Amino acid sequence: MSLLINTAKNNNLALCPKCHKLNLLNVECHDKKIRCVRCHGLFYQRKSHSLQYTLAWNIAALIAFVPANLYPIMIIYSLGIGDPSTILSGIGQFVDQGLYPIAVIIFTASIIVPLLKIIGLFVLVYRAYTGVRLRPDKHSKFYHVLEFLGPWSMLDVFVVALLVAVVELGFVTSVAAGPAINYFTLTVIFTMIAANSFDPRLLWDKESNDLQGNKEKNDN
Amino acid sequence: MEHLSNSINTKQLIACQQCDALYDKPELKQGQSVKCVRCGSTMMERKVDSIERSYNWSLAGIILLVPAILLPIMGVTLAGQYHHASLLDCILVLIERGYFMIAVLVFLFAIAVPVVRLFGSFYITYAFKFNKLKPSLLDFFRAFHHLDNWAMLNVFMLGIVVSMYKLLDDTELSINMGLLAFILWLISSTMAAAALDQDYIWEKLEDEFVNKYSEK
Repeated sequence: MSLLINTAKNNNLALCPKCHKLNLLNVECHDKKIRCVRCHGLFYQRKSHSLQYTLAWNIAALIAFVPANLYPIMIIYSLGIGDPSTILSGIGQFVDQGLYPIAVIIFTASIIVPLLKIIGLFVLVYRAYTGVRLRPDKHSKFYHVLEFLGPWSMLDVFVVALLVAVVELGFVTSVAAGPAINYFTLTVIFTMIAANSFDPRLLWDKESNDLQGNKEKNDN
Repeated sequence: MEHLSNSINTKQLIACQQCDALYDKPELKQGQSVKCVRCGSTMMERKVDSIERSYNWSLAGIILLVPAILLPIMGVTLAGQYHHASLLDCILVLIERGYFMIAVLVFLFAIAVPVVRLFGSFYITYAFKFNKLKPSLLDFFRAFHHLDNWAMLNVFMLGIVVSMYKLLDDTELSINMGLLAFILWLISSTMAAAALDQDYIWEKLEDEFVNKYSEK
């Protein structure tokens, strides 16, 4: 049994996401833009259309993730002969060479994290929308993990950028970026925007409402 | 659902940014922080010597920024040929090869955002340290928060390590001064951001400017 916790929303207060100042609301403007009295930034009490935006960016990320894995991300030219490698075959090369820690790092950053983010956000949006088996404490922790992991997927893009710049020995050997790098970068950006659009307070709102509802029932 | 009256004093309350739980605002001493009872996230923190430390780290970061971007990070030797590249070279090569989107994004995440953040935190702490507060700092500091999620120097560092492993296999790899400069730059910009006490800065700016307006 969790405590009935007072929330800012129930007290007609809204927290500015930039400067963390509590703003007092007029009763009628729950879904309207609020101008913060401290930093003068515009914001909503809850991120506006949070679930819709998250879902949309998430679908975009999922679509971009397909060509990101099918096209080669990097082409290694050696004596004029090109050897294209996709994200997965690049990981395979590391495994063949016995560099398991690096293979694990790249596999985590380029495959597991984007997939986990996309699937995880779908689940969070679904749970927050329907309230089915919603566990705010667990789910908000999960959301923070997703948010933290986001930028680390850029790893592969930075590696390719570095290799392209460093390995530039003319005919002997050179590295070119493949088309997948564009799609992969888009995947990462889209998942980051999706995670930013999600408002973790929505996970808790359901619980507050339920408790509030129960309390009112008991009062009656 | 009871609505509290308009006499509610927002200065004596804090709300959790993650779950919206509302609490009475505690008085914090330097080095103390408050956690939300419900979701466990940190709501407020008084950092020790925040302005001083953040000022020094930002200054160090600004000094290190030029060598970190321009000095070659690493080089390869193969069949008698040698080639090296710096952080800036990565972007120039990507532009040369026509990968404009990637070039712009790598530039943003690995150079522009970290640099702007460093100058931003330097400017803010400079204004606090030498007592040159202006109302425009309110807008400036708000804009500064937009960049919070988009600095990826730490990811780039891991990228350097991974590409070194990749190159070790069939080339002769040499590490240049740029790597040292980059690591130091990464450390100072991370520390500058970590030492910056945002709650303190906002409260001070509010006392200085916002309340004066409302009194008039």
